[in-house]
Amino acid sequence: MQNFFQILVSGISVGMIYGVIAFGYQLTFATSKTLNFGQGEALTLGALVGLTCVNFLIGLHLGTLTAYLIALPFVFAFGLAQGAVVERLGVRQAMKTKSEAGWIMATIALGIIFKNMAENIWGKDPLKFPSPLSEAPLTIAGVNIRPMEIAIVLGALAMMLAVEAFNRRSIYGKAVVATSNDRDAAGLMGINTPLVITFSYALSSLAAALAGVLIAPITLTGANMGAALGLKAFAVAIIGGLSSGLGVVVGGLILGITESMTGFYFDTGYKDVPGLILLLLVLSLKPAGLFGKTAIKKV
Amino acid sequence: MLQVQNLVAGYGKVQVLHQLSISVPKGQLVTLIGSNGAGKTTTLRAISGMIKPDAGEILLAGRNIAGMASHEITRLGMAHSPEGRRVFPALSVDDNLELGAFPRLTGARPKGDVEHDRQRMFELFPRLRERRAQLAGTLSGGEQQMLAMARALMLGPEVLLLDEPSMGLAPRLVEEVFATIARLKAAKITMLLVEQFAAAALDVADYGYVLENGRLASSGEATSLKNDPAVRAAYLGGSH
Repeated sequence: MQNFFQILVSGISVGMIYGVIAFGYQLTFATSKTLNFGQGEALTLGALVGLTCVNFLIGLHLGTLTAYLIALPFVFAFGLAQGAVVERLGVRQAMKTKSEAGWIMATIALGIIFKNMAENIWGKDPLKFPSPLSEAPLTIAGVNIRPMEIAIVLGALAMMLAVEAFNRRSIYGKAVVATSNDRDAAGLMGINTPLVITFSYALSSLAAALAGVLIAPITLTGANMGAALGLKAFAVAIIGGLSSGLGVVVGGLILGITESMTGFYFDTGYKDVPGLILLLLVLSLKPAGLFGKTAIKKV
Repeated sequence: MLQVQNLVAGYGKVQVLHQLSISVPKGQLVTLIGSNGAGKTTTLRAISGMIKPDAGEILLAGRNIAGMASHEITRLGMAHSPEGRRVFPALSVDDNLELGAFPRLTGARPKGDVEHDRQRMFELFPRLRERRAQLAGTLSGGEQQMLAMARALMLGPEVLLLDEPSMGLAPRLVEEVFATIARLKAAKITMLLVEQFAAAALDVADYGYVLENGRLASSGEATSLKNDPAVRAAYLGGSH
């Protein structure tokens, strides 16, 4: 039983990472009905930029936690800029020419370019990311929990709640929701909808970059760290539904937990199978996702 | 206030409007009537920038706005209550109204008193006050129409474009919509009204244009158009 809870804890923290990345997919899908298939690389770059910042600050004799906290705003700013570049270079052009699939190829291509850049700048070998929190686990009711795993859950929830609060409370957030509801009508309100879409891409990459610096201390960092995470988060976004904030959290947890359970009780080689079977089931039985909403629309 | 000169517009290769010229003087209510497919909605969409005109000029207070993006045109004071209402279904009535004032709340237009204007909208459309916390997607068709008009008015517009405000409404509600338009006219709001109920539109308007296949068939003072035998036969069902 103790093992069970131990596995559950690690499943939850990985699941929350999937959730944050999938949340990023939702942000761009809501405003533009397009996705950044380079989300995994946005995560990689976020983690590596974070690594460089943290190492630089540690070199200035700052503590690891202080260095990590100071690095965060730089990672966020980098994520915003990187997402805006993806939208301007890849997505906007494809949407302008009304190309149905152009944005898919464009975002994949940019993802590959970013990955190659990462390999050239940071090398191909995995790098250790200094952990800002103690690596010694806390023992709660016999279950070992690493402080960083708690930070992942809190950081992920904080990110999603902050975006939700922005959308509900601020006039700019409402403009984003309006653009998601009806882009033409939002334009008639004086909302610069192309800018809103750029912003959603920026925010989406920020989410991925945050996921990168949250997971890096418990795994390793490297140019290839994001690819698998980005793909699994895509499965999560499909399972949970591309329109439901709750869906990506639940979807992320389902995938994260089934993975670690299968890995432990069955065989690590098969750990991806249950989640992918679930993906196939959802696609055939409930294509809008488990929590997918059908938009309320009166004619 | 609003002048359209030799406007050519359409969708892709299909040209809908052929050299259309109309004028909406300040403080007046001008109506655009004509059968389905005559190009009424296309005219409004071209004016507010929802589609890009292929040629011609659109002057708002003397400034050519043809070819600008719709959000830029809105920021210059053009409000458009579009065909099909197009309220934001996942946002509350209050939020929809607030977004109508988006350029005022973000510094693109003089701010004024947004809250006061919202209260005025509730006086003009009391049903909206009862529904203010409700999601717009859950409103009835008539309530959505009122919300679409109120949302457009929240801009504090120089010109208000109204596209088929009576569409799909029960006869009692149609009367209510026209009574509201009459009140807006009394408040000297400059309006361009597109309507399928030509008789009711000409009753309330100062001036009218009759559109046929994207060209002007006739135009004149609303009262004289109403008595024009050709217009009566084609658009007013010969009655009234």
